[in-house]
Amino acid sequence: MCPKVFRHALADRVFHWLAAACVVTLLGTAFLPILGLKFDWVMLHWVAGLLLIAAVLFHLVRALAWQDWRTMMIYGADFREAVAIVRGTLRGGAGEVPKLGKYSFAQKLIHLCFTLVVLASAVTGALMLAHVETPWWRPNPYLLRDATWGFVYVVHDLAALTLITMVMTHVYFALRPEKLIFTRAMLRGWITRAEYEEHHDPKRWQVER
Amino acid sequence: MELLRVSRDAYGREVLQGLSWDLIYVFFAAGVALIVLHALYRYFVAKR
Repeated sequence: MCPKVFRHALADRVFHWLAAACVVTLLGTAFLPILGLKFDWVMLHWVAGLLLIAAVLFHLVRALAWQDWRTMMIYGADFREAVAIVRGTLRGGAGEVPKLGKYSFAQKLIHLCFTLVVLASAVTGALMLAHVETPWWRPNPYLLRDATWGFVYVVHDLAALTLITMVMTHVYFALRPEKLIFTRAMLRGWITRAEYEEHHDPKRWQVER
Repeated sequence: MELLRVSRDAYGREVLQGLSWDLIYVFFAAGVALIVLHALYRYFVAKR
């Protein structure tokens, strides 16, 4: 029996860390100049945005065509897991929490939130590329009406601001001692057989023996 | 605190420019609050 259980393929880990680097660069180049740190941020911002869009498209195609996208869907068992956690919380931490599938309810929920927020920022950001001069196109601020641009800006800003809160909490949970096995899996790709047996339900996440 | 940033176009009409940057501190504070609440919960309640 293999002592390690394979959790994330190299392509998925590279996607995760590339997307993370892009999001941090985008947040830094968006908000640091507003907070008073002046530097030439525009080119860094749109290059990181283009990289993020390419990474998201790669992940989307890979997840839909080559991977089992259903492992990330939220099902009844996930809601039962969430109810058990809330019930345990209300009872002061007591009570049994069911073993996880490949991903916990919280992991699926944060993935869904990142999907919505990153897609919103990517689509609106792609439209806003019409404002910048690049080697490939000339600026065209008249692509949309002023009112439509206003809506695009509000959605882009809301997505960016939401990402501040989401990145902070995501990093916090990734660094919590009890969650470090998932962070290690996102770095090295595997968890140990003992960790699998302790945390995961083999009926909900079947792995090679 | 303003929620939106607006400017005026050449005809003096209001044009929406996006959300107010004052909200940066609100979303940052929300992140800090979530982290602190969870850490306190784990420390005082869940470890029992």
